[in-house]
Amino acid sequence: MPGAIEAHGLVREFKGGIRAVDGVDLTVAPGEIYGFLGPNGAGKTTMVRILATLLRPTRGRALVAGHDVVAEAAAVRRSIGLALQEAALDRYMTGRELLRLQGVLHGLSGAAGRTRAAELLDRVGLAEAADRQVRTYSGGMRRRLDLAMALVHAPIVLFLDEPTTGLDPISRATIWDEVRRLNTDAGTTVFLTTQYLEEADQLAARVGIIDGGRLVAEGTPRELKARVGDPTLTIVVGDPAEAPAAAALLAAFGPPVPARSGAAGAVAARLRAGAAAVADVVRALDEAGIAVAGLDLKEPSLDDVFIAATGRRLREDDADEPGAEPLAVDAPARP
Amino acid sequence: MSALALRQTAALAHRSVTVTLRQPDVWFPGIFFPLVLMAIFSASFGEAPGRIAGFPQVNGFLDFALAGAVLQGAISPATGAAGAFANDLEGGFLDRLVASPASRVAVLGGRLAGAAAIAVAQTAVFVAVALVFGARAEGGAEGLLALVTTAALVTVAVGGLGIVLALRTGSAEAVQGTFPLYFALIFFSSAFFPRETMHGWFRAVADANPISHLVEGMRAGIIGGAEGGSAGTALAIAAGLAALGLAGSALALRGRLRRGS
Repeated sequence: MPGAIEAHGLVREFKGGIRAVDGVDLTVAPGEIYGFLGPNGAGKTTMVRILATLLRPTRGRALVAGHDVVAEAAAVRRSIGLALQEAALDRYMTGRELLRLQGVLHGLSGAAGRTRAAELLDRVGLAEAADRQVRTYSGGMRRRLDLAMALVHAPIVLFLDEPTTGLDPISRATIWDEVRRLNTDAGTTVFLTTQYLEEADQLAARVGIIDGGRLVAEGTPRELKARVGDPTLTIVVGDPAEAPAAAALLAAFGPPVPARSGAAGAVAARLRAGAAAVADVVRALDEAGIAVAGLDLKEPSLDDVFIAATGRRLREDDADEPGAEPLAVDAPARP
Repeated sequence: MSALALRQTAALAHRSVTVTLRQPDVWFPGIFFPLVLMAIFSASFGEAPGRIAGFPQVNGFLDFALAGAVLQGAISPATGAAGAFANDLEGGFLDRLVASPASRVAVLGGRLAGAAAIAVAQTAVFVAVALVFGARAEGGAEGLLALVTTAALVTVAVGGLGIVLALRTGSAEAVQGTFPLYFALIFFSSAFFPRETMHGWFRAVADANPISHLVEGMRAGIIGGAEGGSAGTALAIAAGLAALGLAGSALALRGRLRRGS
């Protein structure tokens, strides 16, 4: 099956020979949510602009919904929905007017446009604010309207350029829910750029990491993390005196690492067999008669993946990074 | 132009008018200042016709001043449209339009048609006010129709030129900065006084200024042939300039989309 999005050797040079996109090859399968993860200036937006027909590639070729983005730009435009960074809206228009206008641009009849606008306003929770001018909207409301506008014509492929940058957690969750629902219910292919690790982790079936215009790693979040290393299991024993025994036992399952928690009686190791080994460790501890007070399994994060791929952290300021929290313990359920 | 492209143009023109009407600070000066100028000149030079040698035989100074007000008024919606276009460009709304199946004709045409509609409405206000205060439309309904049409075409011309500037500079400030330039052009023409009463270098400038021929033709639509201007000439000049504005903005948009930024 051809990809919903295919890029072959895509290059975009700007004045002064700066290559914002530098030879990107990627394929996004129909119905997939693809997360394009990278820091500011990595080339994410340039990539979206090329795929959305707003920018011509300097070299290479891209197909979206089966159409060439240069030679068949009109067909691409009919198939895609686009929500660009910094919700581009007319402040003096109402939400409903903007949706109706977008409907006309996409050739919806008057009646169909009206119905669709009402439906989408309802869906993104803007029914009450529908007839207010956008200048009275909050940042989150603008983003939701922006998303609704991208959906007016039920696009096959949806491009979201940093859809939740600068949003509060509730607005972010609303956008995430809507994107998931679109993908599940309508089978919409989603190409999402983000600089939030958690966003890529939560939403994307596959993640491509872009840095300096190049795709430096690609895979499912699980694969990417697995490539970096095994999960770290930290055991806190009830009696600190038993810590050496627990450490010796744990060493059988993988190389010991310094315990991050710092609690007395905490020992840690990287599980060679992955999360699946947790149950075996617990059983072994139990057989040895060592009482366990706490247990924590940490998967490597996408941040670790990014560091492994580029040698740098994704964001210098992790303060507003919602992905700073480690992944939840994801031990296998055994009967 | 396909039926869909027409609908898109109409929808974008409607947007442009609605959004302008919601910002009184945008449309109000375009109506207010020409009216003020018309009132001041008519009061100051009310006795000029018939007393000053070379002044065309008109019913009153108001009849004479109306065309200047209409021309001056036509500039506001044009620079307003170009400024709004620049804002669309800066704010990313233009990207949204361009990435949709909207025809390029609709993107430009909608914006300029909206501005032209505002120019028509303004001109109707100026004419109505002048008639209420005693002006006589010697040129008849035909003359007034020519006046209104010329005003709309001037708006398209100046708006198109402004959009070229917007696409070249990407800045609304640059576009708004041209506004005084048009006023200078209008003041150094026969917009408010007949060329016959001017002298020296000013006369030479007004003679050479194409705006003089444009405004005298617009005036002929109101006062008839008293000054020697021709409504047809004005229409032709305005139509030519409008065609230039349209072609220029279409080329500039195409260039911008090819460059991608």
